[in-house]
Amino acid sequence: MLKHTAASLRDIWDVLTAEVRRVFSDKTTIVIFFLATAVYPPLYYYIYHQEVLTAMAVAVVDLSRSEESKRFVHKIDATPELRVAYRPPTLPQAEELLAAHKVEAVFLFPADYAERIAKRQTATVTCISDIGSFIYYKNALLAGSAVLLDEMETIQLAHQAADGLTGAAAEIQVQPVGFDDVKLFNPTGGYAQYFIPALLLLVIHQTLFFGICVLCGDANENRKALHLIPPHLRRRSIYRVTLGRLLCFLLIYIPITLFDLCLVPRLFGIPQIGSPADTILFLLPFVVSVICFAMTFGNLFSRQRMSTLLSALFFSVILFFLSGMVWPQSNMPHFWLAFSYLFPSTPGIQGFVRISSMGATLTQVRGEYLALWIQAGAYFLTACLSLRYINKYRKI
Amino acid sequence: MLRVIVRELRRIWLFPRYLVILTLGAVFSFVFFATVSGEGQPQELPVAVVDMDGTYLSRRLCHEIDATPAVHIKALYTNHTEARKAMQRGEVFAFYEIPEGIYNDLLQFRSPHLTLYTNQAYLLAGSLSYRQLATMGHLATGAVQREVLRKKGFKDDEIMGIIQPVALETHAVGNATGNYQIYLMTTLIPGIVALMAMLHTAYVIGRERQERTVKSWMRKAGGDAVKAMVGKALPYTLHYTLLLLVAEVVMYGPMHFPMQGNWPLLMLVSLLTVTAAQSAGCFLMGCIPDPSVAMSLTSAYGTLAFTMCGFSFPVDAMPLPMQLFSMLFPLRHYWLAMRDITLYGSGLEQCWPEVCVLAAFVLLLLIGAAMLGRQFERRVAC
Repeated sequence: MLKHTAASLRDIWDVLTAEVRRVFSDKTTIVIFFLATAVYPPLYYYIYHQEVLTAMAVAVVDLSRSEESKRFVHKIDATPELRVAYRPPTLPQAEELLAAHKVEAVFLFPADYAERIAKRQTATVTCISDIGSFIYYKNALLAGSAVLLDEMETIQLAHQAADGLTGAAAEIQVQPVGFDDVKLFNPTGGYAQYFIPALLLLVIHQTLFFGICVLCGDANENRKALHLIPPHLRRRSIYRVTLGRLLCFLLIYIPITLFDLCLVPRLFGIPQIGSPADTILFLLPFVVSVICFAMTFGNLFSRQRMSTLLSALFFSVILFFLSGMVWPQSNMPHFWLAFSYLFPSTPGIQGFVRISSMGATLTQVRGEYLALWIQAGAYFLTACLSLRYINKYRKI
Repeated sequence: MLRVIVRELRRIWLFPRYLVILTLGAVFSFVFFATVSGEGQPQELPVAVVDMDGTYLSRRLCHEIDATPAVHIKALYTNHTEARKAMQRGEVFAFYEIPEGIYNDLLQFRSPHLTLYTNQAYLLAGSLSYRQLATMGHLATGAVQREVLRKKGFKDDEIMGIIQPVALETHAVGNATGNYQIYLMTTLIPGIVALMAMLHTAYVIGRERQERTVKSWMRKAGGDAVKAMVGKALPYTLHYTLLLLVAEVVMYGPMHFPMQGNWPLLMLVSLLTVTAAQSAGCFLMGCIPDPSVAMSLTSAYGTLAFTMCGFSFPVDAMPLPMQLFSMLFPLRHYWLAMRDITLYGSGLEQCWPEVCVLAAFVLLLLIGAAMLGRQFERRVAC
């Protein structure tokens, strides 16, 4: 019994050291594992570090030329999001500015704007926004709404004053119920704070996946899959080989993951409000399941060194979308939601973002945590089975 | 050059696996994005209400919130902590807090406060639910005002003018409802096809080096590296341009995505985008002798394109070096031109800079070919 365990450990150790040597003697895996994980996070942080688009240029077409419309325009100019850059006299001229990308939005005040307000009818302001980038549209929408709500109160107070009601009594009439809003977890709506935690996780996921697939492809291409298995283990104890490789990648990726997901956000001032212990406990099954998933895929489908990069890179875009960070999971068709849980990135990103950006505890992400352990177990099994399969059926 | 093309077609015929996989991958991506976000804008986002009051008024507020198409109330809680925890579990994107005694405070003119909490860690869901719910909050105030005015004898149409003196209508150019699917697919699908074209071209060049067959490839081109490179890339140019055009025809045709401009120009831009992406691939493959290192760098550059094209985060909000860097990505120029053509109906007089830059990318292919030719003479990795 003891002898058997000792032999197992010895085999696992042999595979592990052989695999470590393979990783460090391959230029491509060094580029993918170490260079990509070192360059991507700071680069993305640098790209997004301004977080928000401020002072977006807008044009105002004021056909009303009244005190009311001027006040509205003034408030638009005062928002941090928007800046009134042009005041063309007619709408077609404003649309030309929009088409030439000199402005990203146009606000139009109709000629009867002040008149309708005086008659106590609803006056309509029209905003036409560019949607090339959704941020333009979001800026126009949110800043426009904020000004609108403020202006509604001002006009109502003016009406009350005209009716002889002023001060606190008028305010109660206009706003019988006060309204506050609190933006949680990313108060400025910043892009870096939203995007980078999810992106960092995807970088870990994809570099591990492609790195392992390059190694598997190399083994498959050069028909040396058997070299991975110590001669006396052929046709049995495949699990020792898989476990040895798993430990090798785990050893390499523990420091990389800690660097990318715990140190880099701190260096660049991305708030991480979750407990570090929870973060690390959560990341462990994530890395294990990515490794096992990649080994399964690599054993079966990675026929050549470069083939997985060629055929699976476009999937990164889809993986990010499947994670539910763009389109909410609550609104995904059931089929795609189920499909998304085939990949460790989905529970990984959901759980990590909630722990790190929203301060959730491990029990609050228990669904995702469980999903990752199940994936880790299932993909470990498939990794073993796929290795057995290629050793048995492919003539190597 | 014809001989190079024939040789390449033969190679594809003998080993069609990756062409088939990538074509299926492009179709899959198209179907995925067309079905996953079919609603256009997320509807019925789950939100919660913390009702600490539990009176007629608070229940009516809940009804009004639930009646908004953008959200639906998934849970009612009695305290703040529970709602916050539900948000951390990812069950709701926002919640309203109705304070205790709101009805009494209202009757006694003490101006009670409603509070709205939105989760901005999910940017899209957070900001969309925020807008709807903030407007709701103010309409709730309006509902109370309406009751008061009705009692005073005002008619309903007069009341609307009083409680909502101004309204704001927001339209997006060419995409009036702010349909997210249109916005996503018009950039992502061409981006994916261009990425595939680049990687595939890079891959087939890398394969020649890996298999040490550069010599036979060069011989077919009569020793001219440029001819060899162009001949090799052309079958893929044709294939991926065709794929991209089919995708565009489906999007702007049966799917009714906005298309204000002229088709020939969009087709020209699509063709140039594919060739530009391929040229970038040829450049990297030509310059870096180790094919799989070159392939991983090409991949890194290719994935960056989705960020650098500026469709998610605008390029003008990036630091200046990155704004310049964005010029090096064909997808950036495609995005600029596509936006002008489809949304604004612009013609060549507006898009000529993008067309010229995309065409200039072919220079990269020439440089890549020259490098390859030189390495071939010196027998480096050939």
